[in-house]
Amino acid sequence: MEQFAALLRSKDKQPVRYLVVDDSVFARKNITKMIETFGGQVAGEAGDGCTAITEYDRTRPDVVLMDITMPQMEGIEAAERIVRNHPEARVIMVSSVGYQENIVTALQKGARHFVQKPVKPEVLYEVIKYVLGEDAVAAAGAAAGEKQ
Amino acid sequence: MSFFSEDKASELKEIFFESAQELLQTLNEEALALEKNPADAETVRSVRRTVHTLKGDSAACGYRELSELAHELEDVLTPELAQSAQNARIPEVVLAAADTFQSMLAAYRNNLQPPSGDALRQHVRKLTSAPAAPEQARLAPTFAWSEYEQVVIAHSLDKGNNIFHVALQIDRDCPMRAAAMQMIRNVVGDFGTVLAIHPEDNTPAEQIDVVEMAIASKHDEQWIAKKSHIPAVIKDVVVVRAGGAAETAPAKTVLEIADTLTQPVLTAVPAPAESKDEPAEKTASKSVVSENSLRVDADRIDDVLNLVGELIIGKSMLLQTMSEFDKRFAKDPLRGKFADAMAFQARVLTDLQKSVMKIRMVPVEQLFRRVPRVIRDVAKSAGKEVALQISGQDTDLDKSILDTLAEPLTHLVRNAVDHGLEAPQERVALGKPAAGTIRLNAFHQGNQVVIEVGDDGRGIDRAKVVAKAIERGIVTADEAGRMSEGEQFALIFNPGLSTAAQVTEVSGRGVGMDVVKTVLDRLKGSIIILSKVGEGTTFQLKVPLTLAIIKALLFRVADKLYAVPLGSVLEITRARESEIHRVDNHEVVQLRDQVLTLVRVAKLSKRKASPGKQLFIVIIAIGDRKFGLVVDRLIGEEELVIKALDDHLVATELVSGASILGDGTVVLILNVQAVVGRVGREGAKGAHA
Repeated sequence: MEQFAALLRSKDKQPVRYLVVDDSVFARKNITKMIETFGGQVAGEAGDGCTAITEYDRTRPDVVLMDITMPQMEGIEAAERIVRNHPEARVIMVSSVGYQENIVTALQKGARHFVQKPVKPEVLYEVIKYVLGEDAVAAAGAAAGEKQ
Repeated sequence: MSFFSEDKASELKEIFFESAQELLQTLNEEALALEKNPADAETVRSVRRTVHTLKGDSAACGYRELSELAHELEDVLTPELAQSAQNARIPEVVLAAADTFQSMLAAYRNNLQPPSGDALRQHVRKLTSAPAAPEQARLAPTFAWSEYEQVVIAHSLDKGNNIFHVALQIDRDCPMRAAAMQMIRNVVGDFGTVLAIHPEDNTPAEQIDVVEMAIASKHDEQWIAKKSHIPAVIKDVVVVRAGGAAETAPAKTVLEIADTLTQPVLTAVPAPAESKDEPAEKTASKSVVSENSLRVDADRIDDVLNLVGELIIGKSMLLQTMSEFDKRFAKDPLRGKFADAMAFQARVLTDLQKSVMKIRMVPVEQLFRRVPRVIRDVAKSAGKEVALQISGQDTDLDKSILDTLAEPLTHLVRNAVDHGLEAPQERVALGKPAAGTIRLNAFHQGNQVVIEVGDDGRGIDRAKVVAKAIERGIVTADEAGRMSEGEQFALIFNPGLSTAAQVTEVSGRGVGMDVVKTVLDRLKGSIIILSKVGEGTTFQLKVPLTLAIIKALLFRVADKLYAVPLGSVLEITRARESEIHRVDNHEVVQLRDQVLTLVRVAKLSKRKASPGKQLFIVIIAIGDRKFGLVVDRLIGEEELVIKALDDHLVATELVSGASILGDGTVVLILNVQAVVGRVGREGAKGAHA
C-alpha cells in the first residue's frame, strides 16, 4: 500500500475525524482502512441516511464520506440535511458512475466533492486534502503509527 | 439461480427480453449514426452505455455468454477510439454485434445453446489493436472573449477589481463529466464573480474539455490556482492575472498568455477559504430527470380491455332491462334516477374504454425505427443508393397490430430497395437522381390507419404481371380482361405468382408477397398497390385502429343476426328482387351509374332466402372494389366487443369473430374479405358446371 503523509487538523494537530456512511459493511471497512493510512480517525459509522444525521450531531466529524444509495434515506438527502444544519460540514459523496445525476444534485445541495467507486486511496487522499484545504496540514514523514 | 422464485424469474426474463430488444434497436440506430459521423465521441459513448446496460441486464438474468461479449465490446468502445484512425470500423462492428446479440437472445429465449460469439470477438479485438490514443493535449487557453464580455471585464477592471483569466482542463479520465462540471461551478463560485465563461452553461458536460473564464476575485493567483486543482476532476490549470487598473485589453494572444504564466504552486498553507452557499444555484435545474413511464406486460392491458368489454356488454344488458322497466312502470319516479345513473355510467364507461385503448396505442415510429437498418443492409448488398423519407411517425396504432405489421413492412421495404429501385447508373441514364427514395408514411383515415411504403423506382409492369398470371393458369385471359387495375396488381399477392423468380425480375417484386397479404387479412386490413411504370410503386397498408372493439352494422338474414365492421360499409341502399340481374353467374344490381356485384349472405349460410319483396343492400368496400351484401333487415349500428372464436368451434373463415349483445343474443361478425372471396369462387365454379 502507498505511503501517505498523515493529515492532521491545523488547529490542534490532532488526527482528522471522519464519519463513514455506507450501507455495505464491507465498503465501510474498506474506507476505514484507507482513512487509517491517511492518519485519520473514524469517529463514527452509519449504515443509512438517518443514522448519518444523528451520528454527525453526536460526533461532529471533520469529514463525512457519504454513499449515494442507501436504505431509508438516500445519501443526497442526508447530505443536504447535514449541510443545512451545519454549513461548515464537509461532505464527500462516494458513488459509482451510474449515479452521476445524483452526485450533481448532491453537489448543488452543498456536498463538497465526490469520489468514484471503487475508491482509489490516492484519489480519496487528494480529495480529502483538497476539501480540508487550510484546515489540515500534512505531517512531515510517514503517517504516524502506520506500518505498510 | 434460486434467488427469485421460478415465477418471478421468468417474469424478469420476459422483461429482459423486451428491454433487450429495445436496446438492440437503439444500438442499430446509433451504429447508423456513427456510420455518418465516425468521429463523434458522444455517439460512441451512448453506444457504450447501451452495451453496458445490455451487459448488466443479461448478467442479472444469468446469460453469461452474452454478458461477457457485451463486456468486451464495452471495454473497447472508448471516446478515444472515436478519435482514432480505427473509427471507420466501429459502425461495422457495432452492427455485427447487434446481430450477434440478437441471435443469442433468440437462442436464450428458446432455451437453446447460444451461438458462439467468437467471430464478433475477433472483430472487436481488431479494433483495440490500434495504437494507443495520444496523450491529452496540453492546455493552451485562448481567452477569446466576445466584445460584450470584454466590455464587462474592462468595466470591472475600472472599478478596481482584480480580474483573473482562468482555464481549467478537465481530466479526460474523469468518467463523471456532469458531476465534474458541477464541482467546477461550486469551486468557481468561491472564487468571486464570474464575468465570462466558455463554453456556455447549456453545453452538454460530456463535450467539455476545457473551461475558460474571467473572474473578478479578491483572492490571489496562487489561491485560485490551488483551489482550481480539483483532484480527480481537473488535469491542468492556467491562471493569468489580467493586469492592474492600467491594463484594459485582457484579450492577449494565446502565446503571450502562455509565456507569462507561471506554473501554479501547491503550498500547504494557502490563503483562507470562504465558503459561500449561493453559487451554482442558477445552473441547478437540468439535473433531475423524473422517470414517469412504466413497463407493463401487454397481457395485463389485454385483461383490462377484456373486462371493459364485459362491462360494455353489461351496459347494454342494463339498457335492455331499463327499457322493459320503462314499459312496465311508466309512471314510477325511480325511472328518472335510473336514467341519470345509466347516463353517468355510460359516460364513464366510454372514457374508461378510451383510456384503456390509449394505453395500447403506440406511435408508428416504433415500427419505422427498424427500417433504416433494413435499408442500409439491402442497399449495401444490392449496390443501391437510398434516401429515406419518413413522415407521420407520430400516428398511433394498437401495439399488437404494430407488432404484427413489422414483418410485412420489413419485407416491403426490402423488396422496394432490392427490386423496386434501379441501380444508380440505370437511374442516372433515366434522368433520375442516382439515389433512390424510399418513403414511409402513416396517417389516420377514419377508423383505420394507413401505412404507405413507396419508392421512386421502376414501378410494376401490370401487363407482364397479367401475362404471367394467365400463363400460370391463375386467371383466364377472359377474367383478367374484366379485372380492374387494382385487381390486376393484386395478382402479385397470389402465391403461385409471387414465388416465381422470373416475375421477380420482370415485375420488380419478390418472393413472399402472399405472406404480406395473409398478415393483412388476419388483421382485417387491406393492401392496395399504386404503381406507374418508370415512376415507382406505393403500397398502401390499411389496418384497423384496434382489434378488440369495433363499431359494426348489425343486420338480419334469415332470422340470424350478423354484423360487418362499420368502417367497411360505404352506403346502404334498397332494391327489389326484380331489379337484380344475372351476369356471368354473378348477381348484379344497377347502382346509379355502376354495376354492383351482389353477395347473398343467405346463400352462404345455406339457408333459404326469405321470399322478400324488398331487399336491403349493404355496400362494402374491400380495397378499391365494391360489393353489395344482400340482407333481409337492418338492425342498426352498435359497438361490439369482439370475442375470438375458437378454431374448433367454428370451422369457417367466413366469420372473423362473435359478439354478445345486451340481451344475450350472439352476433356473428362476418369476415368481409372471405365472404366476397367465397362468392367469387362459387361464381367461377358455377361457370364451369
